Amino acid sequence: MRKRSLILIGLTVVVLGTLLVACATAPAPTEKSFQAPVVTLNSVEMPYYTGWWYFDVKVKPTKGDAGKYGAPLALAFVFDIQNPNQYPVMMDGLKFTIAFDGIDVNTVNSPDVQWIPAGKTNQVRVMAITDARAALLSLLVTGGFKLKERGTNVWAQLETWWLAAKDYSLSIEVKEGSAIFKAGGVMNVVGFSGTFAPE
Amino acid sequence: MNTRNLWFKLFVPLFAMGILIGLSTTAGAATINVGSLNDMTGATSDVGKDYALGIAEAMHYVNDMGGVNGKKIKLYQFDYGYRVPEALTKYNLFKRLKCVAVLGWGTGDTEALSPTITKDKIPYVSASYSGHLTDPKKTPYNLFFATDYSTNARAAITAWFDKKWPNHKDYGKRKPRFACSYMFASPYCSAPIKAIKDQATILGFDVGSDQDVSLFAIDTKSQVLAMKEFKPDLVWHGNTTMSVAATVRDAYSLGLGADHIVNNWGYDENLPRLAGKAAEGVMGAAVCAFFGQDVPGMDKVVEYAKKYNPRIPVEKRLIRTVQGWGDVLILWEALKRADKAGDLGGESILKNGFETFRNFDIGLGAPPVSYTSTDHRVAGQVPIYEWKNGAFRLVERVDLKGRWPDKWAKEWIGW
Repeated sequence: MRKRSLILIGLTVVVLGTLLVACATAPAPTEKSFQAPVVTLNSVEMPYYTGWWYFDVKVKPTKGDAGKYGAPLALAFVFDIQNPNQYPVMMDGLKFTIAFDGIDVNTVNSPDVQWIPAGKTNQVRVMAITDARAALLSLLVTGGFKLKERGTNVWAQLETWWLAAKDYSLSIEVKEGSAIFKAGGVMNVVGFSGTFAPE
Repeated sequence: MNTRNLWFKLFVPLFAMGILIGLSTTAGAATINVGSLNDMTGATSDVGKDYALGIAEAMHYVNDMGGVNGKKIKLYQFDYGYRVPEALTKYNLFKRLKCVAVLGWGTGDTEALSPTITKDKIPYVSASYSGHLTDPKKTPYNLFFATDYSTNARAAITAWFDKKWPNHKDYGKRKPRFACSYMFASPYCSAPIKAIKDQATILGFDVGSDQDVSLFAIDTKSQVLAMKEFKPDLVWHGNTTMSVAATVRDAYSLGLGADHIVNNWGYDENLPRLAGKAAEGVMGAAVCAFFGQDVPGMDKVVEYAKKYNPRIPVEKRLIRTVQGWGDVLILWEALKRADKAGDLGGESILKNGFETFRNFDIGLGAPPVSYTSTDHRVAGQVPIYEWKNGAFRLVERVDLKGRWPDKWAKEWIGW
């Protein structure tokens, strides 16, 4: 009985000792050792699509209230988050702007937190919904000069984008991206951009 | 017995250490939740995005500075696309998340939520600076760091009257002529109309007919031609930047011959980009310094913009970032004071926080901020700027409170 206990204690000491040695030899995060993780746009998916449409307030709905409603364009952005460090890092949110044809249509803020193991690559999926009503107003208030220079107008531009999304022939740009990474007491903000171009 | 003792001796200290580490982590993780309602997709997203970035960057700064007496602020920042029904939904979520205050956005959400936040006693610090929100008898929980639209409009016309009119060839021979250009149906645009016309009358202007210019307008020739019949010396613009730029451009090309003063949301770094040489001499109420100007606190604004959004060139950043900081800084101070008083409830944040401000200096080129239980206008002094030779320059800090103390105290609040 006494012998078995001594063996157990001995094993415990060995395991704890090994853990302590492992902790001591793993590199601690420092400003110098913290390598910037890499954020890459992997793909863009369309989880929900209802085509191109717009209803004015004069249109009487079958059920519910009349209003100015535009077709939603739901896009899921899949990013690869690569951690080149020898210790896990925490991603404390990311944000980016979505542009079609060089015109900003949405800025997305994803505050979700996730850990990326040492030397591994995680994936994160960020949903962004842009509806045609909001995009219409945004373009009307700010995009008038730009669209006029291009020889188009707001309605034509929106229709082009919404229809092109159907067969993934819309070039979707991710710009001005930034993601916050933390490890220990060290922080690193990483910029990123990317394009999901038609094939 | 011996074995049990050995296990006990080995694991009790380890267990105790674990508990201590756990407790210290919990103690360090005390947070205060704050909601932020922003427009990053809708009608005001061009300025709303920059404002939202400013809010987030300022919150990082606040937490880096120790948060609220050691408690970190957790920011819940959502886009509502300028859809008022969605603003109500997001507000309900903020309540579920136990947010002690909300950083709001435009006139639509602010006015729609005003009765609810008053009932709930949740401070709502917005970027809608309507004079209608400055009377605590009606809207006690609506606050903002800036001078309100009506005060700004009064100050802008006064600055022109003080600095420009005396140099006019007709000065002393006739009254100056004044007209307004804005979208009649927009609550933001029309909010200060009564106040600016009142100020025009006080200063002795002849006031012409208003011109209805859509916020979506890129061609305003018909309105400019209509104004030309009245021959105004000064036009006030109440719209946002693109349509103001369109009107200023058309006024320039059609030879209107008037000077221009612009309300806050039409006066930013994009105005000269869009209006070109027509923007020369355009004056406006900016409420704080422009992004990057040499004023106290701006170094932090620029530092945090570069740090947290490294892919956005600083040349693209706007005064809207600085405005976001302004609202965060006053909320931070109110939270600190309320926390010190031992109560972080909404009523305490208002009474022990905001309403104890007396000339609280946030820097950023903004006037020092005061609130009382009877007056939520932050200041009686307004900086008026002019776009000249490729830069925004301060023309005058108009002291409305000092020049018209009785009117300021008794007449001008809440409209």
